[in-house]
Amino acid sequence: MLNDADGILSKIPSHVDYADVRIVEQESEDIATKDGVVEALSSSSSKGYNVRILKDGVWGFAASHDMSTMGVDETIAKALAITDASLKHKTTDVKLDNSKPVQGSYKTPFQEDPFQVPTEEKLELLVAADKALRVSDKIVVSQASYQANREKKYFVSTSGSKIEQEIIWTGAGIEASAVDGTEFQNRSYPNSFRGQNQTRGFELVRDLDLVENAPRVGQEAVDLLTADLCPSGEFDLILDGNQLALQIHESCGHAVELDRALGYEASYAGTSFLTPDKLFDFRYGSDIVNLTADATIPGGLGTFGYDDEGVPAQRTYLVKNGIFQDYITSRDTVSKLHEINPKYNKRSNGTVRASSWSRLPMIRMTNINLEPGGEEGTGKAWTLDDLIKDTEYGILMSTNRSWSIDDKRYNFQFGTEIGWEIKNGKKGRMLRNPTYQGITPQFWNSCDAICGRDEWTVWGTPNCGKGQPSQVMYTGHGASPARFRKVKVGVVKW
Amino acid sequence: MFGKEKLKQIAETVLKLSKADQTEVILSVSGNSLTRFANNEIHQNMAWKDLGISVRVIIDKKIGVASTNSFDKRSLKEAVEKATELAKLQEPDPDFVSLPKPEDISDVENDIFFATEGELAEGAHTVIREALSEHLTASGAYANDVSELAVANSLGIFAYHAGSSCNLSTIVMGKSSSGFAADVARNAADVDAQRVAKTAVSKTLQSSDPEDIEPGEYEVILEPQAVSEMMAFFQWYGPNARIYHEKSSYLSEKMGQKVFGENITLIDDPFHELVFPMPFDFEGYPKKKIMFVENGVLRNIAYDSYYAHKYKTENTGHALPAPNTLGPIPLHLYIAPGDKTRDDMIKNVKRGLLVTRLWYVRVLNPKVLNITGMTRDGTFLIEDGNIVKPVKNLRFNQSIPDALHNVVAIENKLTQLASFEGELIGLAPALHIRKWEFSSATLF
Repeated sequence: MLNDADGILSKIPSHVDYADVRIVEQESEDIATKDGVVEALSSSSSKGYNVRILKDGVWGFAASHDMSTMGVDETIAKALAITDASLKHKTTDVKLDNSKPVQGSYKTPFQEDPFQVPTEEKLELLVAADKALRVSDKIVVSQASYQANREKKYFVSTSGSKIEQEIIWTGAGIEASAVDGTEFQNRSYPNSFRGQNQTRGFELVRDLDLVENAPRVGQEAVDLLTADLCPSGEFDLILDGNQLALQIHESCGHAVELDRALGYEASYAGTSFLTPDKLFDFRYGSDIVNLTADATIPGGLGTFGYDDEGVPAQRTYLVKNGIFQDYITSRDTVSKLHEINPKYNKRSNGTVRASSWSRLPMIRMTNINLEPGGEEGTGKAWTLDDLIKDTEYGILMSTNRSWSIDDKRYNFQFGTEIGWEIKNGKKGRMLRNPTYQGITPQFWNSCDAICGRDEWTVWGTPNCGKGQPSQVMYTGHGASPARFRKVKVGVVKW
Repeated sequence: MFGKEKLKQIAETVLKLSKADQTEVILSVSGNSLTRFANNEIHQNMAWKDLGISVRVIIDKKIGVASTNSFDKRSLKEAVEKATELAKLQEPDPDFVSLPKPEDISDVENDIFFATEGELAEGAHTVIREALSEHLTASGAYANDVSELAVANSLGIFAYHAGSSCNLSTIVMGKSSSGFAADVARNAADVDAQRVAKTAVSKTLQSSDPEDIEPGEYEVILEPQAVSEMMAFFQWYGPNARIYHEKSSYLSEKMGQKVFGENITLIDDPFHELVFPMPFDFEGYPKKKIMFVENGVLRNIAYDSYYAHKYKTENTGHALPAPNTLGPIPLHLYIAPGDKTRDDMIKNVKRGLLVTRLWYVRVLNPKVLNITGMTRDGTFLIEDGNIVKPVKNLRFNQSIPDALHNVVAIENKLTQLASFEGELIGLAPALHIRKWEFSSATLF
């Protein structure tokens, strides 16, 4: 396929400033059960390519499923016509950074190829987990889901890059819904919205022990129906890792996307309060808050070898000891940043990805992480038990149920599936409908304790939406439970 | 584009390849272009074309689905074989009865228009020029989507529709404010880029230098865009047979009962004169105009063939592509217009807020159907019937049923609301709602 990509590249006229070609083959399988019956069993595949051309300072992009000679000629002609159309309305030149060309390959390491595990075995496991959720007649819906994806990408560029990659990711989860009169409660494991997802093989699904955990999950859904309502007030808040992962995603991950910060996503996803003037001295969080973008973590859903501009995977500090340090960047946006802030002199940190062959590569989160306690600058390595013992009064919340944040990423509100009251250092009564709300920098400045690496997990978020046309990307977030002081809790009237 | 006859031949080939009890094939052909602009220049400009084939087979009530993006004979055969292989691995679904049988489908015009990259770039530049004239910054997208859809099954259904859309939307930003506008038409010549530009610029200027306002309960005028954003979630979680019968919907067990105020009538009309018609659903079953809520009373919910058979009722033509774990969804739902103009509604507000748009709306609890989200692109204080000043954006936590129980007045017309891409068009009137709960403020 690399040769095919090279063949397409060779047809692009030599007078362009730069061009790259990506051929992508995607394959996925999905299983969903409901009430002990398989509701969806499907397999899909897609193959196509795109050409991205930089000519006279403007981009043109065209993509097609048609890899015939005529199809390729048509696609290249379309991309060139698009550059001409853009050129008429050009105000500035696109410039690329001086990232070096790369020749290499990458394959997701895994123990067990999910596509080789017999479908019967997957169905048996999911149906068993689904049925094990039904611990009470108050469970009105029980569900289990599994998905596996394989993406083969072939990238070549006029600057000499030749890269072959095979990314595999797998996910699974269970969910119980309980109803009593007007009361409705959900409980999921190991996370809501399609469970846990990682760049691993089927070993991830086995490690989750879905069947073993199902009765507890079902019972928690039932217990939530009669649990006390989460109280309202300003309380200390401990977020479990799976909820903190989404908090990081929404209030840090999106906020540090350089295309957003420069206004390039204003028409759809919004902008960011982290404007370039805040680089290097804005206090984003407390001293122990260290946020990284790290595409090299084993198993992270945002882990790969090279991004879709051919830049090698990297680890970058976004926030170090509470201070805003960097964005996630692309080759063209980083050049803009050089002009705006001369103190910034880095190359792209390799975060550009496209959701398919038909989509334009753009800045996407890789694995955006809150570094665990007990490491350089992150304070003590707490355990969740110690954190609870150290809290006089507070609320522990787990597993996202709802999320919303304004278009500059300041005002957020999250709801979780479950909460527990902490009183005098002890985890007490279960609480239903927990919610909390805050303003991003105030919230992260209230962080005073982070659990250590033993409780740190890279959670997968496979449904991150961005861009026009819309692209859904898979991203990862390393997080362990952490405590935030005096947060507004119980912000919804039920 | 392939055309009806060629897609019919491909569908027949697929159906012949299958030995299953029943087989369904969905074929799609698409050609798309999108010109995106920001910071007063075009920054992303692209085109792509794709095919889609999805095969659903049923063997002894066991169902498998496979899809790919090639129509060559080998790919068609592989898709049928894969779907068959998956079906054979299944356990029977006792609630599956049959795919739908052929019914008469309304004839609608297959209206296709391909915009050139030059037309899209010029539309973008019209908006940019208008923004620059007021020293503002324009961003947005101008999309042209052309598609063909064919659905066929082994019981004799063959349904075909082709259509296109040109969608222009923009957000114009000032130092402290922003404004949104959009337009959609079949043909780029009918998209009024100048009106889009002027509307967004005007809103940006009107909402500049917003002031702080205390969150709390306010009377509100929701403009059509905001009403549409609120109702999108009702559409998914309200009259949906899957959720309704799971008892997880606010509407569950309330058929024939009053669910909203008497002034609320909800209609799903895929043939409304302001939308692009959609003659059939993703099972090839005919669509029709249906009243879901009549004067506040729940009259109907949405079904596809699976749920219609399961609950022994009529298929309403609301199937999504298989495999569908979301349930049947009405895609053309709107609140019937009332008798007030927007200005009359504002004049009737003692102290309240005019809300242009909502943003990042999410459901907190589908059973209660309460939602959270932010205001965006222009929020204004109304006092004694007059708009007095722009205010900073607020977060709301609001039950949709409570809002629809407290509608004071409904605008006397529907506004056409373009989605960002594709042929779906929303319709909504402005609403005057007695109380709306804002729980916190943001910094801009």
